[in-house]
Amino acid sequence: MTALLATQPSIEPITLLTIQQLSIIPQEKVIISTLDLSLDEGDILGLVGASGCGKTTLLNAIAGFSEPSKGQIVIDGNLISDSEHSVPAEQRQVGMIFQDYALFPHLTVKENIAFGLGKLGKAEQLEQIDHLLTLLKLNDYRDSYIHQLSGGQQQRVAIARALAPKPKLLLLDEPFSNIDARLRNELMVEIRQLLKQFKMTAIFVTHNKDEVFTFADKMAVMAQGRLLQLDAPSIVCQQPNSYQVADFLQLGSWLPCQVNSASAQSLLGDFDIDNHRDKQTGLVYLLVKPSKLQLNVLVDEQHNIANAQVEHISVTEQGYHYYLSSLDDPAKDKSLAFSKLSLYSDVALSFKQQVVVSIKAHDFLFFNKVTNP
Amino acid sequence: MIALYNSKTWKLSSYLIALVLIVPVLVMLVGGVSASTQLFAHLWQTVLPSYIENTLLLAFWVVLLALFFGVFSAAIITQTNIVFKQQLRWLLLLPLAMPAYLVAYLYTDLFDYAGPVQRTLRATFGWQSPTDYWFFDIRTLPGAALMLALVLFPYIYMLTRGAFEQQDQNLIRASRLLGLTAKQSFFKVALPLARPAIAVSASLVLMETLADFATVQYFSVNTLTTAIYDTWLGYGDLGAANALASILMLLILFVVLAEQRSRAGLRHQSARPNLTRELIQLSFGQQLIASIFCWALVILGFLLPITLLIIMAVQYSDVAQLSVLFSTGLNSLKVSVFAATIAVVIALSLGLYQRLHKDKYRKIPQLISGFGYAVPGTVLAMAMLSTLGPLDHWINGLAEFLGFSAPGLILSGSLFAIVFALVVRFSAIANGTIASGIKQIPQSLDYAPATLGVNLIGSLTKVHLPILSPAILVAWLLVFVEAMKELPAVLLLRPFNFETLSSQIYQLISDEMLEQGALGAILIVLFGLLPIVLLNKSKEKV
Repeated sequence: MTALLATQPSIEPITLLTIQQLSIIPQEKVIISTLDLSLDEGDILGLVGASGCGKTTLLNAIAGFSEPSKGQIVIDGNLISDSEHSVPAEQRQVGMIFQDYALFPHLTVKENIAFGLGKLGKAEQLEQIDHLLTLLKLNDYRDSYIHQLSGGQQQRVAIARALAPKPKLLLLDEPFSNIDARLRNELMVEIRQLLKQFKMTAIFVTHNKDEVFTFADKMAVMAQGRLLQLDAPSIVCQQPNSYQVADFLQLGSWLPCQVNSASAQSLLGDFDIDNHRDKQTGLVYLLVKPSKLQLNVLVDEQHNIANAQVEHISVTEQGYHYYLSSLDDPAKDKSLAFSKLSLYSDVALSFKQQVVVSIKAHDFLFFNKVTNP
Repeated sequence: MIALYNSKTWKLSSYLIALVLIVPVLVMLVGGVSASTQLFAHLWQTVLPSYIENTLLLAFWVVLLALFFGVFSAAIITQTNIVFKQQLRWLLLLPLAMPAYLVAYLYTDLFDYAGPVQRTLRATFGWQSPTDYWFFDIRTLPGAALMLALVLFPYIYMLTRGAFEQQDQNLIRASRLLGLTAKQSFFKVALPLARPAIAVSASLVLMETLADFATVQYFSVNTLTTAIYDTWLGYGDLGAANALASILMLLILFVVLAEQRSRAGLRHQSARPNLTRELIQLSFGQQLIASIFCWALVILGFLLPITLLIIMAVQYSDVAQLSVLFSTGLNSLKVSVFAATIAVVIALSLGLYQRLHKDKYRKIPQLISGFGYAVPGTVLAMAMLSTLGPLDHWINGLAEFLGFSAPGLILSGSLFAIVFALVVRFSAIANGTIASGIKQIPQSLDYAPATLGVNLIGSLTKVHLPILSPAILVAWLLVFVEAMKELPAVLLLRPFNFETLSSQIYQLISDEMLEQGALGAILIVLFGLLPIVLLNKSKEKV
């Protein structure tokens, strides 16, 4: 997880996109529910969420391919959609890169890029096309047809075609899902640089959080048609605002705790907490990042009493990855039992081996578990 | 995603087109139902039961024979190790190009008492009269069924072969690994899996049989189609003809519904059709029988009749024939070009309407416009006469009222009626071809132009139509060929002294003088080959 943080310019950012109270309820099924969102000019927003959460619908609403039931969308100061009227998609100056690229199979690379440039003169068109072909390293393929290109090249053409009419906002629908995993990171860095070079404001949709961490300045987490959190990726990573956000992004594993005014009780021991901020009591879940777990291999039963055992072992480039579960102890509270605590370690453990695990002191994050509402 | 466009003109014209296409048949049905009960009772007491019986018997025998020919040949070609498989694979499609009435005429000529076969037999064995020996009579109901089955079985062969070839080979492999032989696997897995395709193709054959007019007329087998023809042209009784046509329409409707029911829920699609197939290894004797079976179908259904036609053409052709051929050919061409062009324009308009318009019921116009294929040409002709006739009278009345001279039968008595009927009948073909072309355009291409600032007109002219151009060409050709071949609708609707290739050949057949039109007949067969070549090509591309 590498977070590329854009250095914020010192001048006041201009808001390019404002979405207010947007709801999309086709045939009485809520797809988007009273959603607010705003995006500054030049920012890249990563929209992440499980499939069916409404992220693609949101993208389509901005582009003009979905009809909002309520709320309004403003781009660059122009109201493009509210309950009364809706600017046709072709007049919104919103570009889009489709998941399947939607390149025209009957046109060459050059003709594809020229498609949105009908309003320009021939000379201007050629200049713009040449510029983009060079920038995207497509000069050798200008007269090729789409089926003659590789997946990566097709994506470049899609980007060039979308950028050619100079849209105010660029939408990308799962742009990297068709790219070989080995090339993906390299390509993401390259395209990010390109968008920054064009000072392009962009929104891209993905279900892969790692893409957001690499590609976006801002990230928005969606679930069931609602926006759960909108922040810089580093902030979302460190301060997720809900169980759902942390769980979807797999920021750590969950340890059930019984919390009172000043301490928390768990099967990994009790620890003091500073409970003045959240004021949560009762059964809550502690977000445990692997780095906050301390492993002690059981040496002597007299001094250390085992509190977990190994349930699954996998090998990763960062050493061993274990899933730990709590031990069956009739004396302990059943609701505190855990089954899939993630632990990374260089120490080789065996299946069902009992260990002692403790939690390092840190700024504890407790959440109420949200089951599907 | 929602569809993008909300043009009112487009919506209005789409529904109007659908309405215009369906109205004549509705008018005919109303006319049929409201025909006097007395008349119907009379028909019922006299000829109707035997006509219906003949129709059903004929349908039964044709479907049975065509299933036997089609399913077995498809199985032999796809599942066994006979030689010349690659050639037989496409040769077995050729009988489709041969109109049944031509085969009927040619075989009657060949096997009649006065024909060469019986003459030779008599000369060889010294027989003097029909009482000396038994020989089958081809001009009977079973004979007509055989003629029809010989040229219609390729429908079943084609779809069943396709089903076998599309089957997931891992299913067959699984069956083999579970202990079944290749032959057992075929009967227990492959054949049951092909059932939906067999049912669909059998219903196609059934509909073609119910629609056949010329073969049964030539063999004097009275069915509903011949009855409609005779009632109208013989007695000029529109009401009775409409009633008969309505009964035939109900039969067809029944077939269509049965076919749809049998298909419901039975979809076997495969992701792995192209794995190499394990063939059933036949013994030499079995191979011989299988080969003879397939070659017999090809020879009887195509090679022998076309040879007979060519011999006729060589023996009897002259300049006078050529000039008649030229003028009737020109008429056919005129009618077919109009019909094909109009049908394709309609198919494009309705197909793209369904794809791109916001209308909630946008599928309906296309759905309605496709029903005509199920309507036999004879029925359709009655529909045109019942609708356009009164319309003509109304127009004439109006013209006289306004002080103009009456224009005459400008709709029912002109090419308009023929072209209209052809468009109704073959719109479904154009629709199917264009719709499958549209289906192959990824949905994202509908949206991409808008994201680049291009509107509906730009999107249609720069994206959809260019991408669809191969489908447009194929659709046009298919309708063109079908229109060239269509007979009963043309026979009933043609203006006085207007002959097309097919109507002229039918006349010559009726007068037992096909020699005079052998060249034209060959031409019709050649046109019929065109869609087969196209179909085969598109199949091979996949």
